[in-house]
Amino acid sequence: MDNGVIQCHRVSYRLGDGRALVSDLSFTVGRGETLVLLGRSGSGKTTTLKLINRLLEPTAGEVWVEGRATTAWDPIRLRRRIGYVIQEVGLMPHLTVEENVGLVPRLEGWEPERVRTRVRELLNLMGLDPSEFARRWPHQLSGGQRQRVGVARALAADPPVLLLDEPFGALDPVTRAELQREFRRLQEQLQKTVVFVTHDVREALLLGTRIALVADGRLVAVHSPEEFLRAQEPEVAAFVSALRGWQEKITF
Amino acid sequence: MRRPVVLLFACLLAVLSGCRSGRENRIVIASKNFTEQIILAELLAQHIQARTGLAVEQRVNLGGTLICHQALLAGAVDLYVEYTGTALTVILDEETIGDPTAVYQQVKAEYIQRFDVEWMEPLGFENTFAIVVRGEDARRLKLKTISDVARYAPEWRAGFGYEFMARPDGFAGLAATYGLRFSRSPRTMELGLLYRALKEKQVDIVAGNSTDGVIAALDLVVLEDDRHYFPPYQAAAVVRRAALDRHPGLRGALDELAGLFSEEEMRRLNYAVDGQHRDVKDVVRDFRRAKGL
Amino acid sequence: MNVFDFLFRNRAEVLALTLEHLALVAAAMLIAVALGIPLGILVTRQQALRRWVLGIANIFQTVPSLALFGFLIPVPLLGGIGGRTAIVALVLYALLPIIRNTYVGISGVDPAVVEAARGMGMTDRQLLWQVEIPLALGVILAGIRVATVTSVGVATIAAAIGAGGLGTYIFRGLSMVNNQIILAGAIPAALLALLADFSLGWAERRLRVPR
Repeated sequence: MDNGVIQCHRVSYRLGDGRALVSDLSFTVGRGETLVLLGRSGSGKTTTLKLINRLLEPTAGEVWVEGRATTAWDPIRLRRRIGYVIQEVGLMPHLTVEENVGLVPRLEGWEPERVRTRVRELLNLMGLDPSEFARRWPHQLSGGQRQRVGVARALAADPPVLLLDEPFGALDPVTRAELQREFRRLQEQLQKTVVFVTHDVREALLLGTRIALVADGRLVAVHSPEEFLRAQEPEVAAFVSALRGWQEKITF
Repeated sequence: MRRPVVLLFACLLAVLSGCRSGRENRIVIASKNFTEQIILAELLAQHIQARTGLAVEQRVNLGGTLICHQALLAGAVDLYVEYTGTALTVILDEETIGDPTAVYQQVKAEYIQRFDVEWMEPLGFENTFAIVVRGEDARRLKLKTISDVARYAPEWRAGFGYEFMARPDGFAGLAATYGLRFSRSPRTMELGLLYRALKEKQVDIVAGNSTDGVIAALDLVVLEDDRHYFPPYQAAAVVRRAALDRHPGLRGALDELAGLFSEEEMRRLNYAVDGQHRDVKDVVRDFRRAKGL
Repeated sequence: MNVFDFLFRNRAEVLALTLEHLALVAAAMLIAVALGIPLGILVTRQQALRRWVLGIANIFQTVPSLALFGFLIPVPLLGGIGGRTAIVALVLYALLPIIRNTYVGISGVDPAVVEAARGMGMTDRQLLWQVEIPLALGVILAGIRVATVTSVGVATIAAAIGAGGLGTYIFRGLSMVNNQIILAGAIPAALLALLADFSLGWAERRLRVPR
């Protein structure tokens, strides 16, 4: 096995009725890398993500995180080492922003003062003024603000790994672009090992150190962004032509 | 869309017309909410049907004395079996009289005058309130009369039916006459549950019927009414005069039942239903055959 | 003599019966909640049990209350007459709304919230106590409210089997064809039900979480 933080080795996930959501997947994610899982809807990218933090277990093959198979990990300890950001965000509506962000540190038994400091630090990092936002309730936030809190929450216990499932998909284009830029900046600063799921090829090109294209539950190819634009595989070409088509459209 | 509405309307009409259908050939008999009454209503029903050929309907378990009485006055029922003492104190709201014949004459006269209802000849037995205790207590404490329990009353719990609690010839008068001072107020419940409560020691003394069939079987003892607090309760049918006029054969049929049976025989009938769980209809049919009716 | 005269003149007895009634309902509700909420939680964890648990609770609900009291009389240990049987019947009656609302409340929590909680490493117990129950509390309380208000009404039947309560007046009034006495039992019972509805409704509103 290669030496990477996350390794999938011939991983399959089959449903009870025999349908395979993921087939024979193999890839590695190195430390500090951002691997983008790119694919159309229903291609198995979200399933792959959930196999990494053991929300699902492979029916064949193995997923290794930090040198140990996910099935060998205590699932709770595994997930505490992985930050998880989803499209709907999933903030606890009955907790304030501060309480939401500080959730995992609190679960880990940090002292209240340390939690408070960390929360403040993260809110600042995400561009949210703590004095204004710490005491707010989730339903008082805009979509963009909610997802910033979601990312802050995922980073709170300083996990080495970050999994994001189409985190900006539900946001308007302006906010999305903002958050994408900020995420890039964060990555340069924090150097987390990231797996990022999206169906937006522009997002993939912008954020990924490598792009893994997934189709019908299979891994088609893994390329760097430059390689991606020149790649030969038909599925990749389809994405690239969609991108070009859009670009041509707007350059009148 | 229209068919369900038409169907509903038709059903409503059928129900309503059923309510109005000929009272010409129908007799309605009521009974109060205890076994003896149900047996007597069945007896009357079978007998009237056999003798006059009239259709008979029964309104069974009609709640209590006053409900039956109201139903009678309103014409919803034509007759039921009442007890002279009950009529005197509960319905006519008058002072207790000791002599059975005097009570009978008084209620008979008043009923004709006030309600246009006639009292038939007494059936032959009395059903008075039986103040009942457990056999073991009676033997241990040597209890024979109601006066004997006065000294134990403060430690005991009593159980009565709703009607007994509220009647003038019921609990209040009994307690006053015998100086019964219960420290806690009596428990009230459905009549049918009183003996069970007594056996299970949830209560220590109850007011049942003297003709109840299960008293002996449950090893219960009836205490003597030594101060003659309760009036006589002779059982007889009370019938609306309008019904008697409408159906000439009815009076003759009812007269045949005069003095028909004793307290002991009533008790046996009650036991057959309450104790042996036999069907009321069968019990009554056998009884009539035995009596040659 | 009108109802209020009667109530005033017999206020000691009215009070005693009301307290008896409250005691029956309170005891039954405490037991029903202690049984019903855990059962509801169990059903969310073991979906296979759902049909059984809800089905059995439903059966008790559909049996007419007077019949239920009657069925319980000959049962050994739990049955007989008096307060204990009445409480057993009331508990059985209250179970369905409580179990069902617990199940619905917890299942109804936003799946994204549950997924995020699981994904961040909450144990099942932490998920239950820190997320699902707080968010389901409003719905659970609605179930308790319905059960309590129904219990106040059903408890009037308890008088038929010697358990006391305000039903005593109702039955007495029925046998004597005396509306004042019937109302003397019915009005306080109705007021109790309204009071329960109002106060639990207030608590329910306080605890509901905006999404």
